[in-house]
Amino acid sequence: MKQLVLQLTGEGGLLAGVPYPLAAALAMLVFGAIVVFVFVLPVAGVTSWLERRVWARIQSRVGPNRVGPQGFLQWLADGIKNMLKEDIIPTAADRILFSIAPYLVVIGFVATFAVIPFSSALVIADLNIGILYITAVTGLVVVGVLMAGWASNNKWSLLGGIRSAAQIVSYEIPAALSIFPIVLLTGTLSMQGIIQAQGWAPWNWFLFHSPFTFTAFFIFFVAALAEGNRTPFDLPEAESELVAGFCTEYSGMRYLLFFLAEWGNLYVIGAIVTTLFLGGWQVPHVTDNPFVLAVLQFGVFFVKSYFWVFIAMWVRATLPRVRVDQLMSLCWLYMVPIAIVNLVGTAIWMTVVPAGLDRVVQIAMTLAGAAVIVGFFGRVRFHLRRAKLRDIDYYYNPII
Amino acid sequence: MGYFRNIKETVATIFEGMSVTFSHFMRRPYTVQYPDRVPIRIQDTLPFRYRGILEVDLEICTGCLACERACPIDCIVIDAVKDKDTRQMMLNRFDIDIAKCMYCGLCSEPCPTGSIHHTSEFEGADYSLESMLRRFVKTPVVAYKPKKGPETDPEIAPILDRGMAYLTDFAAGGEE
Amino acid sequence: MSLGGYDVEVQRPGGLATEEMTLNMGPQHPSTHGVLRFIVKADGEVMREAIPDVGYLHRSIEKIAEKVGYHGFMPYTDRVDYVTAMPCNQGWGMVCEKLAGIEVPRRAEYCRVIAVELNRICSHLLSVGSMGMDIGAYTPFTHALREREYINDLLEELCGARLTFNYMRIGGVAWDLPPDWVPKAVAFLDRFEPLIDEYNALISYNKIYVERLANVAIITAEEAIDYNLVGPNLRGSGVKFDVRKDLPYSVYPEFEFDVPVGTGEVGTVGDCFDRYMVRIREMKESCRILRQALAGVPEGSVLTKVPRKFKPPVGDAYIRVESARGDMGWYCVSDGSEYPYRVKIRTGSFTATSIIDKVSRGLMIADLIAVVASFDLVAPEIDR
Repeated sequence: MKQLVLQLTGEGGLLAGVPYPLAAALAMLVFGAIVVFVFVLPVAGVTSWLERRVWARIQSRVGPNRVGPQGFLQWLADGIKNMLKEDIIPTAADRILFSIAPYLVVIGFVATFAVIPFSSALVIADLNIGILYITAVTGLVVVGVLMAGWASNNKWSLLGGIRSAAQIVSYEIPAALSIFPIVLLTGTLSMQGIIQAQGWAPWNWFLFHSPFTFTAFFIFFVAALAEGNRTPFDLPEAESELVAGFCTEYSGMRYLLFFLAEWGNLYVIGAIVTTLFLGGWQVPHVTDNPFVLAVLQFGVFFVKSYFWVFIAMWVRATLPRVRVDQLMSLCWLYMVPIAIVNLVGTAIWMTVVPAGLDRVVQIAMTLAGAAVIVGFFGRVRFHLRRAKLRDIDYYYNPII
Repeated sequence: MGYFRNIKETVATIFEGMSVTFSHFMRRPYTVQYPDRVPIRIQDTLPFRYRGILEVDLEICTGCLACERACPIDCIVIDAVKDKDTRQMMLNRFDIDIAKCMYCGLCSEPCPTGSIHHTSEFEGADYSLESMLRRFVKTPVVAYKPKKGPETDPEIAPILDRGMAYLTDFAAGGEE
Repeated sequence: MSLGGYDVEVQRPGGLATEEMTLNMGPQHPSTHGVLRFIVKADGEVMREAIPDVGYLHRSIEKIAEKVGYHGFMPYTDRVDYVTAMPCNQGWGMVCEKLAGIEVPRRAEYCRVIAVELNRICSHLLSVGSMGMDIGAYTPFTHALREREYINDLLEELCGARLTFNYMRIGGVAWDLPPDWVPKAVAFLDRFEPLIDEYNALISYNKIYVERLANVAIITAEEAIDYNLVGPNLRGSGVKFDVRKDLPYSVYPEFEFDVPVGTGEVGTVGDCFDRYMVRIREMKESCRILRQALAGVPEGSVLTKVPRKFKPPVGDAYIRVESARGDMGWYCVSDGSEYPYRVKIRTGSFTATSIIDKVSRGLMIADLIAVVASFDLVAPEIDR
């Protein structure tokens, strides 16, 4: 990016004469805007469509399949519909807070894209405090949600907002604590730095680095789900309890923004997990062509992060919702202590375990992970057998 | 050691639940994509006893009013009078208010000829209440008079056969 | 009018006064199972009280009976409890038969048992499915409804309707079992029984689910009897009482089946999980009954001749049937005319509503949903 800016500000460039810092800021803004409009919004939209399809298949349904091929454009139709709808602000609501709350939520999630490394070159800003920046910026979401809950002047909304605040604030801690082992291992907070410390092969990922990072991964993923208000932690929305939680009173565009943030957040969760634990954009060395490499890295990063989006959808289709006190006890009695143990364990691991053993453990853990997956498919097969399906009941095609 | 047992149980049961849900990716959805993406019309797939919108075959209606009396919500209105001159039962009015009808099937059971019967049609949505009132008699008609022997009129015989077949199948329990 | 009406101001150390919040849950709320309203007094997430306010779905069904006559009331009984219409049909049929002293053919009794037990599975599927949905898991609901659809198909073939069956008549049933229907029903049972295990693997023993239901709203056996709980709610508290077994009617004595009771396997006897689990087990028992009934349907007619102008002798009759929501009482007074003098229907949901206030004190708002779902309340049955 730096070279690009230098080129532009240089002799005969588009921005000739503009001072370098200004030009760099401008370039970042433009790139950021492109990322938001070309990548973030469609990804959030497509995620909403995909979630409904995945959900539907798990529930023996079909899901949206009418708008566009296989309903692929459903998100567009829903978006346009919501934008055209009347934006009702209740008379008893606090107008200003009510209006700006959704934007805060959206800002909180869009801002995280600034540091997400899509490839070794494609990153808006490779901050040296990248991961810290993400934890900080997602804090805006809680402000927005709480504001929405309060300003709606509705008791359900208020309950939802307060639940959300308690939940997000609590789960920031295990999330941050399970990031620290990775920071310890790499010695950097930069997202690119963390990825560069890993390799393309699974045994070079931090996921399989040691039992501690393995646990840290799960704690981080669960905490991230909780921060993103996803099942089993969708208490702020909790349809069957709080009607629609903090967005009960919202309609039209503003309502859409909350959901945009929710689905967009899903991708952010996937991207962070991929960066921290799954080797990010790391690909085997196949080419020196920077363009091909960027595409390849982007593809790998996207697939990896979208896999976790899929997992989150699948989890949502499986699990019930925890109660608010169980949410807290899960966080403070289980996840925080385990995360601290992980942190200390990783520190000890780094000093005690010799380099040779390190590699053995990594390979063993990768094999163990593969064994778990094989075992999982064994269970799947068992369930299919037990259901006594006729041949006609089997259907592998994702398209229907 | 409840602490670790809780963790173990949580992981194990979630693993199990996830495997159940994953197995559904390999199962056929059972949605019927009514109304447009169905191989055959839904109406044709319904069982014989399906109680859809009522229909009357006026050709074999005897004007006995059994259905009107049986209807618990009075959605059937029949005006049958004996013509003084011809000594025939004349049907002046046979209305069924589909908006009121609760599809209980009590009317079609006592019908001696199977004239009033349920079809497998269920798409009754309409824009006005008036059109839900089905008027079967446009101009007064002569009610059917059951004959002693088998029906001879070639026009009525098939309708009566259908009606009686409906009766024997629909009200197979036997009636008084 | 103030319901329960007292306002409490809690003085907290530090001088911050807090107020109890009055939440109006329902009649329009996603998980009040119809139009049921709760006036919840809550301190944050903790409920001080939850007073059920019933009557939003009152349709004067008992009064209608006095106007439409004995035969004509049969379709209305479908609407008493639209989730389990068959036992209501059977109840009305039985009370009229008792009034007039009519003997029902054995084949008709078998048809009734088959229809009622299929319908019971239907109702329990809806109940356990919506339990999952109220707790926040949507998939079990659709899986339960998928199986329910198959039962609905069977019942549709049997009696022409999927929900409001109007299958039974005074003196028997309206329609005989269709040809080829019995093998289809058996095939369904073969497929359905393993799916109960799958359902358990999916949700019943899920740790989160268990945590949400275990030790919540514990009702002891004494309380359950005092508050007149019936059916699975009563059995969930460990009281082994089933009208089919203890006050046998129809041909139930001929079948071999168990009455599942709450065992407190994950918590305390009488908690939400026990009430839920009783329903799951009852589905298996219903399958057992169905297999025996389908195998032994006797020959014969399915309807005795009952005059169209049905005039039972002066007198009254009370019968009890085991509906999916428990002991359902039907009381009918005849004055010898074509129309009943008075009909009274006693339903399980109504009595279960009365204990909600007691058990919900001190629980969380999220628990109220679980409690309501665990009682399997059906709003039309509460109000009639």
